[in-house]
Amino acid sequence: MDIVDQLGAVREGKMSRRAFTRSLLASGVAIATLPAGARRAMAAPEDQGTYFTWGGYDIPELFGPYMANNNGEMPNFAVFGGSEEALTKMRGGFVVDVSHPCNQAMPRWVATGLFQPIDPSRLGNWPDVIPALVDLEGNDAEGGSIWMAPFDWGQTSITYRTDLVDLEGKEESWDILWDPKYSGKLGSLGSGADAWWVGAIKAGVDFKDIDTPEAFEKIAAVMREQRPLMRTYTDDNTTLEQALSSGEMVASMTWASSAVQLQAEGVPVKFAKPKEGALTWVCGLMIHKDAPKVDKAYEIIDSLLSVETGHFMINDYGYGHSNIKAFDAFDAAKLDSLGLSKTPSEVLSAGHFQVPQTQEWETKMNETFEQIKAGF
Amino acid sequence: MTETSSSSTKAQRSPGRGGLSGLLHRHENLRGFLLMTPTLLVMGVGIIAPFFILVTMSLWTRQGFDFDTTLTMANYARTWNEPIYGALLSRSFWISGIATVATVILCYPMAYFVAFHVHRNKMMWIILMTLPFWTSYLLRVFAWKVILGYEGVINSGLMAVGLIEAPLEFLLYSQEAVIITLAHAWAAFAILPLYVSLEKIDKSLLEAATDLGDGPVARFMRITLPLSLPGVIAACFLIFIPTTGDYITPALLGGPDGAMIGNFIQLQFGPVNNWPMGATLSMVLMMWISLIALVFLFITRLAREKIA
Repeated sequence: MDIVDQLGAVREGKMSRRAFTRSLLASGVAIATLPAGARRAMAAPEDQGTYFTWGGYDIPELFGPYMANNNGEMPNFAVFGGSEEALTKMRGGFVVDVSHPCNQAMPRWVATGLFQPIDPSRLGNWPDVIPALVDLEGNDAEGGSIWMAPFDWGQTSITYRTDLVDLEGKEESWDILWDPKYSGKLGSLGSGADAWWVGAIKAGVDFKDIDTPEAFEKIAAVMREQRPLMRTYTDDNTTLEQALSSGEMVASMTWASSAVQLQAEGVPVKFAKPKEGALTWVCGLMIHKDAPKVDKAYEIIDSLLSVETGHFMINDYGYGHSNIKAFDAFDAAKLDSLGLSKTPSEVLSAGHFQVPQTQEWETKMNETFEQIKAGF
Repeated sequence: MTETSSSSTKAQRSPGRGGLSGLLHRHENLRGFLLMTPTLLVMGVGIIAPFFILVTMSLWTRQGFDFDTTLTMANYARTWNEPIYGALLSRSFWISGIATVATVILCYPMAYFVAFHVHRNKMMWIILMTLPFWTSYLLRVFAWKVILGYEGVINSGLMAVGLIEAPLEFLLYSQEAVIITLAHAWAAFAILPLYVSLEKIDKSLLEAATDLGDGPVARFMRITLPLSLPGVIAACFLIFIPTTGDYITPALLGGPDGAMIGNFIQLQFGPVNNWPMGATLSMVLMMWISLIALVFLFITRLAREKIA
C-alpha cells in the first residue's frame, strides 16, 4: 500500500485514524533507522583514521597507498585555516589521529602534551626521508623517536598576474603587495602564521629578533600600511586562486600550490622570487596522544610520505616533499622552475626560514594581527 | 453520619486511581509542570547551564593557555576602553539594523498580497515564498557570493548590457554585500509572522473605514498597519537578534571592512585563544541586544498608543 493510497483511504473514511497513525509510526521508525543501516553497508568511515589538516590536503591523490589498504576509502578529514586555530581546537578536546603543523609551531604543539612520539620504524617509507628535514629544532623525542614526521616543505611568496602587474624592469619584491597602485586588487592568506612573518621580511626584521617589542611595532606598522590596500584576507586558497584568475586580484601572498595550479589552467601567473627572500617552512605530521586509531595514523603518515604522493605534491602543488626518491622523476630544470631542489636546505636557507616562538609571542601576534585586519 | 459516609466512599474510590494519578488529579500545577518537564530539562541543560558557564568564564582572564579563575571585571573594562570592540559592536548593529528594516519593508507587501488578495491555495503561496529557505543557510550565502562576485551574475549582466565597463567591486567584500545577503537569507522569518498578523485582521473593519470615508492610504495607516504591528515587531526581533551575531555571512562576503562582532568572538575562541574575552564579548552583545530590544518595544508601544 503506498502513501498516496493511504491518504486517499483516510479521505474516503475507509481507514481509521488509528490505523493511519500506526502506519505513520512505522514509516517514521523506518526513516529514523535507515541511516544506521546505510552506514553499515558503506564500509564505515568510522573505521578510518582522522586527518586534521590545512585546506587542499584532503584529496584522494595524496592517499593512494592508504586507499589501497582500506578498500578505496580515504581517511576522515577535518580542515583548519591556521595551525594556531587547530591547536586551540585540539586543546578544547577535539581528538584526531594525525595533524599537520609546521616547524615553527611544532615545539609549542609538543609542549601542550597533546601528542605522542612517532616511532620511525613503523613507517615503511622512513629510510627515504631526507634527514635534513627531520633535524628540526625541538624534534627529538626520547628513545630515537621523533615528534613530527616531515612531509612537505616550500615557500610562501607572491603569486602575481604577469599581464596585470608591471614590474617596470625592477626585481620582483614584496613591495608588490604594498604598492598603492594595486589598491583593492591585492590579497593575502589570513593566518598570522604566514602573514606576520611576511610582514617581518618586508619590515626588514631578522627572524632572530622577531620576539622583541621593536620588531612587533615595526611589523604591526607595515601590516597596518598594507591593510587598506587589501581586497580580502582569507584562509581559503580557492578564493585567492579564483580572484587571481578572474583579475579581481592582481597579486596575492600565497603558497606555491596556488601558482602551480593556476599555471596548469593557463592563467598567466608567476610565483615570485622576491629579492628580499621568500618565507620558507617545513610542515609535517604529528600523532595525537589519544589517537583512537594509532595503526591508521601510521598508515596515513606512511601514505603521505610515499613516492607516489611525493610526485603529486611536487608536480601538481609545487611543494617540496620529504621523500628523496620522489624527486627522481623530475629533472633539475623542472625542479628549478618550481623553486625546489633535491637538497632542501638550499631552498630553505635561501629564503627566510621560520623559527619557533613562545606561546606568549604567538598569542600576542595573533591578537595584534586580528585587530589590524579588523581595521585597528 | 452523612459526613463520614461520603468521606468513606471517597476513600474507597481513590485507591482505584492509584497514587500518582490521584496526585495529578488533585494538583493542576503538578500536571502542568509534568507536561513541561521535557522542555524544562532541555532548557536547563541546553540554555541555562551554558549561560552560567558563559557568565563565569567572562569574569575569568586568560593566562597562557589556561584560565586565571579569580573573578574580575577586567574583560568588561577592556570592551569598554578599547575602541575596536565598540566599533565592531556598532557596525554589527548598523548592518543588521539596515538588514532588518530592508527585510521587513520588502516582505510586508508579499505577506499583504497573500493575506488580502489571494483567496485560494494560500498555503501553497506561503510554501512557494519560503521555498528558497529550504536550502542550507551556507548554500544561500555562497549563492550570493556567486551573484555578487567579480565575475558574478550582476557584474557580467551589467557588462553584457553595456551599462558598466569594469566590474563593480563594491558588490562583494563589503558591508553592502553582507546587508543584501542577510536581507535575503532571513526573509522567511519576516514573511511568516507578517502574514499571520495580516491574515487575522477583520476585513469588516476595512469596509467600515471605507464606508466612513477613508481612502486606501488612510485605511492602511489607521487600520491595517496598527493591527499588523505585532507581526512587524515579531519579524524585527526574529531578524535583528540573530543577524547581529551572525558570523558566516560577514566571514564569506564581508571582506576586511565587513567583519562583525560574531567574527571577532569566533577569533577569540580560535586563533587568538582568549576564551574569557570571547565569553565577555558574547555577554556584552547579549546585553546590548536586550537593551535595544527594550527601547524598541517602548517606542512601538508609544507609537501604538498614539495611533490608537
